[in-house]
Amino acid sequence: MRRLGGFAALAMAVLLALPLAAQGPRIEPPASGIFGPMAGPRVDPTVPPSVPNQVETPDLIVDLSRARVSITSAFQGESILLFGMFDPPGEIVVVVVGPPARETVLRKQRVLGLWLNTGRQAFDDVPAYYFIAASQPLQRLLARSAGGEILSLEDRLSSVRSVGQREHDDLIRFRLGLVEVKRREGLYPADIGQVAIQANRLFRVELPFPSRLPEGTYEVRTYLLREGKIVAAVSRPLPVGKVGFSAQLAGWADNEGPLYGLGAIVMALLAGWIGGAVMRRI
Amino acid sequence: MEVYLPIAEQSMNVFVLLGLGGAAGLLAGMFGVGGGFLATPLLIFVGIPPAVAVASQANQVVANSISSLQVHWRRGNVDLRMGLVLLLGGMIGSSAGVSLFTYLKAIGQIDFVIAVLYVVMLSTIGILMLVESARTYIRRRRNPEAPRGKLHTHYLVHRLPLKLRFYKSKLYISALLPIGIGFVIGILSAILGVGGGFVLVPAMIYILGMPTAVVIGTSNFQILFVAANVTFLQAATNGTVDVVLAILLILGGVVGAPIGSRLAAKLPGVVLRGLMSVLILAVAVELLTELLRTPSSFYSLGTREVLP
Repeated sequence: MRRLGGFAALAMAVLLALPLAAQGPRIEPPASGIFGPMAGPRVDPTVPPSVPNQVETPDLIVDLSRARVSITSAFQGESILLFGMFDPPGEIVVVVVGPPARETVLRKQRVLGLWLNTGRQAFDDVPAYYFIAASQPLQRLLARSAGGEILSLEDRLSSVRSVGQREHDDLIRFRLGLVEVKRREGLYPADIGQVAIQANRLFRVELPFPSRLPEGTYEVRTYLLREGKIVAAVSRPLPVGKVGFSAQLAGWADNEGPLYGLGAIVMALLAGWIGGAVMRRI
Repeated sequence: MEVYLPIAEQSMNVFVLLGLGGAAGLLAGMFGVGGGFLATPLLIFVGIPPAVAVASQANQVVANSISSLQVHWRRGNVDLRMGLVLLLGGMIGSSAGVSLFTYLKAIGQIDFVIAVLYVVMLSTIGILMLVESARTYIRRRRNPEAPRGKLHTHYLVHRLPLKLRFYKSKLYISALLPIGIGFVIGILSAILGVGGGFVLVPAMIYILGMPTAVVIGTSNFQILFVAANVTFLQAATNGTVDVVLAILLILGGVVGAPIGSRLAAKLPGVVLRGLMSVLILAVAVELLTELLRTPSSFYSLGTREVLP
């Protein structure tokens, strides 16, 4: 009965929040949306201290066309527009990172003429999704080194921890295999996105999300670079999750497996019984 | 029109899935077997993860078997005692099968095992059926009144202990035999997501020696409960039953089945079995090529684990 536990926790949270709300002004994230007020720069606490704090100086303002990626029953992947304004001069780099997890890479080998998985290698801290977009060729921007803060996919993945021991060259092959599979699924888009700049101060870029998208809180980081240095950065969380009917079903399947199973059986019995009876009449 | 499958975690064309369910239903109507053994490989071909395909297909089998059990029960074509004995083995087998499935999934070999089992099973059944229908066809052309061969021989069946009397089937055989058969079908059901009718029916006729009239109804009885058990255990342990996928397959099947049985009434049995065996062999060959062909990518990903 984990769900009851969930309700209890929620009730507790509400009770705890009440006196806080009464004490003073609550800090709320700014409302966002295409026509809503633009979100002010929000600095995520997880961003390393190498990024200068930009709360006061609005050198860089960023917003997304949607506040979240909703996986509904009709979800087929989605493109979200990131747009904003910056104080010229400068270049814009956008990095979108999915939640990290342990991924196991399986490798096929021919055994007695049949292809089967013989090798496996787990990696920790692998981002579910990784997308970079820039207003100039990335190499040129990164060559001047943005303080080791903006990482290309290759750089980001070179830091993933392999689980267990393996020979160096082989490990690299597995890592390449990981990128290959993620590319195929559209989770590590191969091309670096183009950030379009207009009127020297407005920018926009489409963030592509494929249909097989892992859930979790993604992080959308936008950097303003001047002469190869980060002068401003804005980080925004982008929740990705199932909603509505899909969310309900997936939630039941995860948390109440046995109950979900019984439900599935009853559904099948009813559908088979009624369907069979109806079709025999026709 | 695309629909997002919440457990498979991908979107898929509604009509492809309805069509697949319909094709399985068509076969079910034509041949009196579930059609799951063709639907599951086809689901895997269109890109559903094998684990989800198998578990959701088991859910579809529940609907399929209740629908035909309705008819056979009313006609009194169910040997309840035999069904229960088979079911005893089936329950043990399917529970063991789901554990085996979970283990194979954990070591990353489930896709391979599913493919190999399908190749072995489909090619065996396909060849047997093809040979049988070819033989019957030739024999009928030579001598249309040829008597049918003896259905079963008595050897092992009558020496095993724990003998039981099955009145409806007019049999006095050891209970161990149907329990064993049920057990094997249960394992197949859990790993392959099939009802197992296409193995169970010949086994009941040729190994147990049951009269053909009660075979289909009794096998449906056992399959219903075994498929329900597989659905329950897969949902409870692996969370791989996708009800959206299942309901689309069921809807397709409900429409396909009566069309199949009407078609079956028009075509002669030999031709029907010949067609079916060719179809089965085609799927087996396709699965085998998948195993033999150098894959376009040597790498794939196992399950993603979000660490706390």
